[in-house]
Amino acid sequence: MIQVKNLSFSYTKQPFISDMSFSVSSGEIFGFLGPSGAGKSTLQKVLIGMLTTYQGSAIVNGVECRERTKNFYENIGVDFEFSTMYEKLTAKENLRFFSSLYEKKSRPIEQLLEKAGLEHDADKRVSDYSKGMKARLNFIKALLHDPLLLCLDEPTSGLDPTNSRVMKDMILEEKAKGKTILLTTHNMQDAAELCDRVAFIVGGKICALDSPHKLIMSKGATTVTYTWMENEEHSASCPLDCLSADEQLKRLIAENRLQSIHSSEPTLNDIFMDLTGRTLL
Amino acid sequence: MKAIRLSFWGMVTYLRRDMMLFAACLAPILVGFLFRFVIPLFEDALTDWFHVPTVISPYYGLIDILFAMLSPAMFGFVSVMVTLEENDEKTAKYLFITPLTKHGYLIARFGIPSVFALLVTVVLLPVFKLSPFPFSYIVLLAAGGTLQGIVIVLLILTLSSNKLEGMAVTKLSTLIMFGAAIPFFVKDNVQYVLSPLPSFWIGKAVFENSLFYMLPTFPLLFVWIWALLKQFLRKI
Ligand SMILES: Nc1ncnc2c1ncn2[C@@H]1O[C@H](COP(=O)(O)OP(=O)(O)O)[C@@H](O)[C@H]1O
Ligand SMILES: [Mg+2]
Repeated sequence: MIQVKNLSFSYTKQPFISDMSFSVSSGEIFGFLGPSGAGKSTLQKVLIGMLTTYQGSAIVNGVECRERTKNFYENIGVDFEFSTMYEKLTAKENLRFFSSLYEKKSRPIEQLLEKAGLEHDADKRVSDYSKGMKARLNFIKALLHDPLLLCLDEPTSGLDPTNSRVMKDMILEEKAKGKTILLTTHNMQDAAELCDRVAFIVGGKICALDSPHKLIMSKGATTVTYTWMENEEHSASCPLDCLSADEQLKRLIAENRLQSIHSSEPTLNDIFMDLTGRTLL
Repeated sequence: MKAIRLSFWGMVTYLRRDMMLFAACLAPILVGFLFRFVIPLFEDALTDWFHVPTVISPYYGLIDILFAMLSPAMFGFVSVMVTLEENDEKTAKYLFITPLTKHGYLIARFGIPSVFALLVTVVLLPVFKLSPFPFSYIVLLAAGGTLQGIVIVLLILTLSSNKLEGMAVTKLSTLIMFGAAIPFFVKDNVQYVLSPLPSFWIGKAVFENSLFYMLPTFPLLFVWIWALLKQFLRKI
């Protein structure tokens, strides 16, 4: 679906996105994870043909991005990090107008509105929408022409947990339909939950690229930490896969003296810190 | 093609919600009536009053020039306001990544309105003109007015970054129309100070009643358009 080879791009004279190579196959959710200013949105703009002065090669749907024609956009749906709606028009009028620009037949607008939970607000002006409603509306706008590739820029950022959940479910539903999805985020939970693979991006470079699971595994085993009382509180920890060798833990269990026990998996955030020496925020 | 057509109609339906822009589209007809029927009445009244042969009539040619520039400027103003709003709301950015594309967007917002302005001017100018122009003048005035409309549009777009600034800059940008008045009022060679304005030469040609003076107009217009377009394309 996407092949990127030795891609470099900069807005200025200084190098920014430099020498990136990766590919994304059909049906995959691929995440760009990185702190703000890392170049995630910029990379997406190259892939949707908005920035054409790049070096190297970026092929989306078999088309080199800088040579895109209007047909290129029949199969790309984009959800920017900001709302892109006519504020004075209603949701329905907006969707109707945008869908009319495509040669492809539109997905039923009523159905999409219902999916986003906006069926009762379809005739309200977009300017009267809340932030969460706007986010959902902008997302279904990207689905109107049933594109093969969805590019979502920070689809969950700034949303409350409920809206964020709805958004993630809609994304997963599109994946189930076989769509390829590119998303950027600086939220590692979302990346871990949604993405088949993630690329860590810092300062215009890819530092790591793998499935969230493998990245987490690469950090090493999960550890178990437990506490008990012996005059005062003590605590110890042990790797999960060596638990049976921990005589002290066995004794504490046998004597029923454990005060607490919990396991801690490394998170993508830890991995990100390890690999890049930076946090995600 | 479909996307260009529909996004142009999208703009037209949008205008119906905005009284100011809607009125701007009708202005050429209202102003045409005013110029054609009210000004001659004034002229009669004034010449009677002052007992002189002419008051306004030496400037009828200038009034016709301004009328030829009116539709392109008005339609351009309307398109600019719509685009600046689309820029504020980021809808323009979205349209660029639909099958409309940036190129189609520019055609829908500026190409089609310019063609309309040209047609409207070629039709209305013979109806409302005050001077006995031959058809060649009509066509050249309409073409010059249309290209100048594009200059005004580009000036506003390059000088402003939102709708509010756009309104302010519009007044400034339309001043370039009034280069046409200079040959009528400044007899001295000082008038040539404003010769880089394309409208100056349109005014000169009508004042001297010789199309020969129109020659510099079109190259000048293209230079203005080229320079401004370069700026503008860098910006979007
Ligand atoms: N149009 C532009 N012109 C110049 N610099 C830009 C432009 N857009 C973004 N940048 C710069 O590029 C850097 C990366 O931006 P971006 O790709 O949006 O980061 P991210 O999406 O990872 O937060 C930022 O430092 C930003 O200031
Ligand atoms: Mg971003």
